[in-house]
Amino acid sequence: MTNRISQFPVLTTDEFKIASATLSRRFEQLNSSQSTWLSVNVLREEQCTFLQILKARPDLNESTTNIHGSAEPLPIEDDDEEEVLQNVRPSSVVITYDVLLSPSYQVPMLYISFIDAQHRYPPTMETLYRYLIPRQFTEQINSVGIIGGITITDHPLTGSPVFFIHPCQTAAVMEASVGNKELTPVEYLMVWIGAMGGCVGLNIPIALAQNDDTPCSE
Amino acid sequence: MSSSRDVTSRLRQTIWNGSLPLEIRLHKGDCRTYDDSDPYLIQYPRLSYLGLLIHRLRAFFSNKLIYPDVDVTDLWLEHEGVPLKWHYPLGLLYDLYSGNEPAYPNDATSSKVDTAADDQVNLPWRLTVHFSDYPVEHLVKLDADGKHLYDMFINSAKEADYLRNGTGRTVMSLSKEDSTQLWDSVQQHDFSLFGPINQKLLNPQGVNLRHIPIKLYLPHATSSSKADAAAKSKDKAPGSLRVVQALVTPALSSRQPQTVGTALNQIIPSLFPSRRSPLLAQAVLHGAVLPLASSVEDLLRVAAYMDGWMHIAVIMMA
Repeated sequence: MTNRISQFPVLTTDEFKIASATLSRRFEQLNSSQSTWLSVNVLREEQCTFLQILKARPDLNESTTNIHGSAEPLPIEDDDEEEVLQNVRPSSVVITYDVLLSPSYQVPMLYISFIDAQHRYPPTMETLYRYLIPRQFTEQINSVGIIGGITITDHPLTGSPVFFIHPCQTAAVMEASVGNKELTPVEYLMVWIGAMGGCVGLNIPIALAQNDDTPCSE
Repeated sequence: MSSSRDVTSRLRQTIWNGSLPLEIRLHKGDCRTYDDSDPYLIQYPRLSYLGLLIHRLRAFFSNKLIYPDVDVTDLWLEHEGVPLKWHYPLGLLYDLYSGNEPAYPNDATSSKVDTAADDQVNLPWRLTVHFSDYPVEHLVKLDADGKHLYDMFINSAKEADYLRNGTGRTVMSLSKEDSTQLWDSVQQHDFSLFGPINQKLLNPQGVNLRHIPIKLYLPHATSSSKADAAAKSKDKAPGSLRVVQALVTPALSSRQPQTVGTALNQIIPSLFPSRRSPLLAQAVLHGAVLPLASSVEDLLRVAAYMDGWMHIAVIMMA
């Protein structure tokens, strides 16, 4: 039997560390069977433990080429072509998702930035709407949902401006998503990614989500 | 009882009225007459934000600019190569970057401290305004309507509110109307607007103070080991900082209040190995070195910035 979250909907520092380590380990085990995420690492800097997920930016033109029919999926050939280009292009763009535990709210916080040698994605609201928020979410732009809570702020460790989902609603979102079900730390983290990540292109790879059923008490 | 309340409100007012003289010069790269422009001079509240000045600066320098139609959001301020963060209040920026000595509590009587300090320090504080080469990697970009500045302020105020009163389940007590009035009071630096909201925030009904909103700002040159600091600051931006926060309770036990010394010792023991005397570093708030024996709760009631936080600069001792 694995340990359950002790103070749901908030997470303790130790639970956050366990959740991060577990997710990272599961990712390593599954790495060959998925290609959505590049890496999942637990890092430590300035006495702060955080989780870093890297993802290749899939399609440079995805959100701009298809403005007229937002409901229409892109033609499949285009997707394939882009994917090939992505793999070949040496200086491909990587999106960094840093997950830190908020010292105030005691819930995970998500900081998002682009790694691009050519600096084409500065942390501006234009970049956010054009390149980060997936098309199916852009209709909610002016709503007060999670997207309304995305802002630009200094990364707590680097001091550089990055995108940020404000955590003041996270506890409420977690309660609404989970109900009375008891969660292990890694389950909490995966529910959290599911609830908060989609609007900024962070989705749990299917293989990793399926693996969620197997107990992980070791 | 009433006299201690008088002291509290008098101190609160004094801190509210604290201000700094600024001399803001146009960067020669943006100036059509090279370095031949008049500086913008202003006595500016320590608690306020430089981001509220952008329209006035743009108007003042417009006839000196190489590109007079430049966007107001391209404007940024810098002191000796350090881009100044828009969401840090002026007093914090000054305490971190001016290089001027803070005031010490045991210098003299309170009224004399200010004059004595003013004679020695290098004032006005000299800043440079730029209208090009915005450092997007280091500074959040503002918008012309001040929306982003408002967001950063309100998010910070909400976080402070949550720390003071929140559990995992309570709803944020800062209402929409309160947020608006609070921001108006910030923009106009009007204590008559700020006071009532602040009272409401600091004394919510039926809720005990849970945590003290404290943020510590450690310049990257600040470290217990010099070699360590040099290695770390190598690839950092000029003036880069480490911002540290932790849950700080108002009391250690029913009989023992949390002091500045016990809190600092808890959060960064490497820089504050003693709870009673500063050995390696000083904690500076509103230009003054904090006495380590003072209670953090008392301090919060008089010395918080407008967003409800105590933004404390940690300065290494010479």
